[in-house]
Amino acid sequence: MASVSFQNIEKTFGSTKVIHGIGFDIHDGEFMVLVGPSGCGKSTLLRMLAGLEEISGGTIAIDGKVVNEMESKDRDIAMVFQSYALYPHMTVAENMAFSLKLRKANPKTIEERVAKAAKILNLDPYLKRYPRELSGGQRQRVAMGRAIVRDPKVFLFDEPLSNLDAKLRVAMRGEIKALHQRLKTTTVYVTHDQVEAMTMADRIVVMHDGRVEQIGTPLELYDRPGNLFVAQFIGSPAMNVIEGTVRRANGAAHVDAAKGVKWPLPGAAGADGQQVAYGIRPEHLSLAAAGASGSVPGEVVVVEPTGAETELVVQVGDEQIVLVTHGRPVVNPGDRIGLTVEPAMVHVFDRSTGQRIGG
Amino acid sequence: MKRLSLRKVTTEAKLLLIGIPVFIWTMLPIYHLFLFSISPKEAAFAGHLWPDHPTLRNFVIVFGEKHYYLSHFWLQMWNSFIIAVTVGILTLFVATSAAFAISRLKVKGGRAVMNMALFTYFIPAAFLAVPMYKTMGVYGLLNSQWALILAMLTIAAPYSIWVLKQASDKLPYELDEAARMDGASPLQLFRLVYLPLMMPSLVAIGTYALLLAWNEYLYAFLLLSKETQITLGVALGNFLAADDSPWELLMTTGLLYALPPAAIYYAFKRYMVGGLTAGAVKS
Repeated sequence: MASVSFQNIEKTFGSTKVIHGIGFDIHDGEFMVLVGPSGCGKSTLLRMLAGLEEISGGTIAIDGKVVNEMESKDRDIAMVFQSYALYPHMTVAENMAFSLKLRKANPKTIEERVAKAAKILNLDPYLKRYPRELSGGQRQRVAMGRAIVRDPKVFLFDEPLSNLDAKLRVAMRGEIKALHQRLKTTTVYVTHDQVEAMTMADRIVVMHDGRVEQIGTPLELYDRPGNLFVAQFIGSPAMNVIEGTVRRANGAAHVDAAKGVKWPLPGAAGADGQQVAYGIRPEHLSLAAAGASGSVPGEVVVVEPTGAETELVVQVGDEQIVLVTHGRPVVNPGDRIGLTVEPAMVHVFDRSTGQRIGG
Repeated sequence: MKRLSLRKVTTEAKLLLIGIPVFIWTMLPIYHLFLFSISPKEAAFAGHLWPDHPTLRNFVIVFGEKHYYLSHFWLQMWNSFIIAVTVGILTLFVATSAAFAISRLKVKGGRAVMNMALFTYFIPAAFLAVPMYKTMGVYGLLNSQWALILAMLTIAAPYSIWVLKQASDKLPYELDEAARMDGASPLQLFRLVYLPLMMPSLVAIGTYALLLAWNEYLYAFLLLSKETQITLGVALGNFLAADDSPWELLMTTGLLYALPPAAIYYAFKRYMVGGLTAGAVKS
């Protein structure tokens, strides 16, 4: 168990700078997820922590000890690779025992630790098999077993589930989460999938173009995204963002969008005349009768029922607004309807900086 | 009942049409070699498809070294063997180390080495025979079997490095990283992960270098001269020095000379299998 600290980390490949001074701390026992679109530098950051990539600037410390110049093997960390990277010529048991053998651990300890890890991961029946004889999910578990037997200070996961099919991914997500709750080892987990990040993380670091956009618990990021990027990255379907101008008069306020659409603006966010991006999540919109007071008029474009919920795409002015409802509304494409906004759930961002305005 | 489609039958027929002539073409000289070896001296050139009185006498003479040209048969066979095996092992050592360093450790100058390796084949090996002879003389290695071993190593190594480098590039790099995280030093990575996975290529290259040395005539003829040091291949050439060459013995010895490589090939063939890295990474 250990804490990890990044301070002003930079990374350049040749003349290209891919990470621009990142700093944050991971607490002891925390499950930290690094999330962001492809090329945001999250994997590079993880690989620098692993010692597989040189650190161009700044320091990384594990348990207060700077590890910049330390070899991977001396950092006491274990990594699960996206491609599993199992040794194909070794059995499952040998794969898991490899690191301990290199450390010259006593054979009895090795056997015990492998047996224990195999039990945790339900790999007992497969110990004598070779990786090629296993399914994708089983290989993934072996890769995790290889990390567990070492009992390292920190677990690193580099997009471990992206090679699995959707159903297995959900199952493994639960397994990794359960494993963390059981072992309480500090974990750094890289993914591009915000659902994985939301469901697994204690805290999330949202990265974009080599910078940290926001750090927080999943619900903090969902409820109070610090900027437009985070607002649109976290949550599925993505938040509706409408550009407009704040208008305040007689104690009431709204955001004027194109084609005279007026979006109600509760609270004090935004000064009169300010250019803003108005954000509302699909699940915080509800259907009303066309012309109902306080509603925004629109026309249904697409209706997508998924059973539990229904997703609607509604044309409002120039924008296509997505709405998710738990009910099964009786609407058809072409119907005129009204949209009501849940006032507490409106997000307002400055249009030029993208930063959140107000509470 | 299994019915063959017309298309399958014609494909099969086409293959046979090519295969049978090729088979006869290849086997005819070998059959002649065999025919000579079981014919008595006077019937050797009779031209029959099968001798009237097949005999194993030639083999008795060869095995018993009962002829002037064959007085060191076993020693020369051993010379061929020991030289070929040493060349095989040394080539493997040099080429594997080089390929590992260039492909996995990514040492600086790796590309230059690869280009130079290819460049060596622009000059035919025969042109280098005399310079090589001179070089070995400078090092005082003439008349030592090391001269031939080192010469063959020089000829076999560049191609071997090239092939092994290409083969190692195909091993997933994540395996190296995983091993590094598991605490493997470069040497442990080499021994415990790299070598086992390279086995099929190593067997192929080892066999290649071994056969190259086993079959070498020109360099062996130039660099070795003592009766007790030459390889069997050179000794076979000496048969032709006489006016009245004992053809049946030459062919018998030739047949025996061809057996060890064939044995080695079949012994190691089972290691030359693909799919060793299956299951390592998701492809």
